[in-house]
Amino acid sequence: MPSEIPTHAKERLKGLRTSLHSTGVFTSDFSVNEFLLVRKAGFEPIGLCVGTCVYHVGIQYGSWSKSQELDVLSKAMYHARELAMSRMRAEAAAMGADGIVGVKLTIKRLEWDEHLLEFIAIGTGVVHGEGHKGFRAHDGGPFTSDLSGQDFWSLLHSGYRPVEMVMGSCVYHVAHRGMMSGFGTMGRNVEMENFTAAMYEAREIAIERMQFEAAAAKAEGVVGVDIHEGSHGWQTHVIEFFAIGTAVLPLDQEIAPEKIADPIMVLSVND
Amino acid sequence: MGLFDFLKGPSPEQQQSQQESARRQADILMNIRANRPPSSTMGRLQQARTGTLPWIATLTPAELMVVRSHGLKPISTVSATCWLHYGWSWTLGHAQGWDLALARLKAEAKAAGANAVLDVKMRTIPLAVENSMDFTLIGTAVHVEGLPPSPDPIVATIPALEFVKLLEADVVPTGIAIGAHYEWLNDWRGATNQMWQGNTESWALSRLWESVRQQAHANLRQHALAQGNGVLAHLNFSQMFEREANETKEYLARHIVVATVVDARRGTPFNHDIKMVVDIHDGKTPLTGTARHHQSYASNESEGAI
Repeated sequence: MPSEIPTHAKERLKGLRTSLHSTGVFTSDFSVNEFLLVRKAGFEPIGLCVGTCVYHVGIQYGSWSKSQELDVLSKAMYHARELAMSRMRAEAAAMGADGIVGVKLTIKRLEWDEHLLEFIAIGTGVVHGEGHKGFRAHDGGPFTSDLSGQDFWSLLHSGYRPVEMVMGSCVYHVAHRGMMSGFGTMGRNVEMENFTAAMYEAREIAIERMQFEAAAAKAEGVVGVDIHEGSHGWQTHVIEFFAIGTAVLPLDQEIAPEKIADPIMVLSVND
Repeated sequence: MGLFDFLKGPSPEQQQSQQESARRQADILMNIRANRPPSSTMGRLQQARTGTLPWIATLTPAELMVVRSHGLKPISTVSATCWLHYGWSWTLGHAQGWDLALARLKAEAKAAGANAVLDVKMRTIPLAVENSMDFTLIGTAVHVEGLPPSPDPIVATIPALEFVKLLEADVVPTGIAIGAHYEWLNDWRGATNQMWQGNTESWALSRLWESVRQQAHANLRQHALAQGNGVLAHLNFSQMFEREANETKEYLARHIVVATVVDARRGTPFNHDIKMVVDIHDGKTPLTGTARHHQSYASNESEGAI
C-alpha cells in the first residue's frame, strides 16, 4: 500500500483551508468504501435524493373462501411506492443527476392509524465525472438502482449499466378452507392444490409486473432480483409478493467476456 | 468500619480527597464555561504531546500498523461531553449538543498538538434524566509526521483504515455535520381524516414529511459548508407522532441526519487498483447472493451444507 498522502490532504491536515469549492456541498449516505468505489467507477455523488409518501390504504372487500388478488391493496402498495420513487427521481433530476445509486425503499406503519402506510425512498444522486450522458435512463432522466456502491462498480465492470429500479407487487388472499374439507383426506398426505395454485398465481403476477416494467424501460435484463413475501398488518391468509431488482442494459462498449477479470480466491484465516 | 461510623466526622484523608474532588469539579466547570479543556486534561494532553507521558490510542494493533505505515502517530485519546436539557426543542437540541461536543473535542485535539482526531465515536449514556441527554465524543488524536500541529484539527468519525484510504484519494474527512428539523401540523381542516376514502395518498402528511426532510437536509448542507464540501451520512432518524388536542389532530414530524463531512477534490482518482477477491472462508459475499437459501426450517440455527 503506498503511504503517500497527497498535497491537498496535507494542507488540510496542517489546518489550512482551501477555498476551491464553488460547487457547494454534496450529500450522500455512502459508506467510505462505497464513496471511493463510485468515484473509481467515474461518478461523483452530488446529493441525497428522498421521496416520501404517506398513503391511506382503502378498504378491501373480498371473499373469505376465494383465492384472489386483493386489488385494492395491490394497487395501494404499488401506487404508494411509485409515488415515493418518482418524487425521489424528480429530486435527482432537479439537481442534474445522471442516476441514483443505493436506493433504499422502506415501508413503515404509522401506529395511530391502521390504514396509513409510510413509504420512503432514499438514495444518492450521482453524476458522471466527465459529463457522459450515456448513463441516463431511456427517457433522458436519471437511472435508478438499489445497488450498493460495490455492486455498482461490479456491474459496470461486468459490462452493464443500471437503467431503472423495477418492481412488481401482488397482494393476495389465500382462500380459507371449509370446516369439513380436512376429513376426506384424513390418513393421507395430499397436496392442497388450491393453495399451491394460489402461491403460484400471486408470485407469477409479481414477477410478471416487474418484468413488464423492465421491458417498458427498454432494458435487457434485471439483476439482483429479490422476491419476498411480506405482510403489512393484514389478516392471516393475506400476503404480499414483492419482486424488486435493477433493470440493466449493456454499456455502449460491451466488455468481452475474456476481458472481465475473474475474482481472486483468498482464504481468510479470521473468523 | 463500625455501624455508627457515619456519626463520626470524615477522616483527614477523606476530607482531603473531598476537597480535591470539589476543586477539580470547580475547575472543570470554569474551563467549560471559558470554552477550553479542564486544567488537568490540558496538562495530561500537553505531556502526551511532548512524550513525557505515554500515548493513548483506541486503535487495535492492526489499526496501529496502518496508521504507522502512513506516517501518523497517536498522541492521546481525546473526549468531550455536553449534557443538554431540551428546554426548548428535542430535535434541535441534537444539533446543538453534538456541535458543542465537537468544538470541545477540537479544543482537546489542539491542546494535544494533533493534526487530526480519528475513529471518533458518538456516544450517549443510557440514562434518561428528565428530558436531557449527553452528547459524548471519543476519539484518538494523531500527529502527522513532518507536519506542524494544526490550529484547527480535523475530526473523523471513521476508523483508521478508512481514514487513510480517504487521504490517499485526496479526500479529507473533516468533521461532523448534523441536520435536524421538526414541524408541527395542526390538522384543523381534518385533511387527515380519510376513513371512508379508498386508496388515496394522505397529502397533508406526505407534505409534512417532505418539508421536514428537505429542511433537515438543507440544515445538514449548511452545517457541512463550514467544514468541507460534502457529507457521507451515516444516520437518518425520523419519527412522526400524532396527538389530539381540542378535537383537532396534531402531528409532529422530526428528522435528524448525522454525517461525516469530507473535503474532496473532484475528479481525483483513487489510485489503488481494485481486484475482486473472494474469501473462501464462509462468510457473506455478494458472489453467493444476499438472500438466505433456507427459510423453511426456522428452528435450525444455521444453514448447513447444501
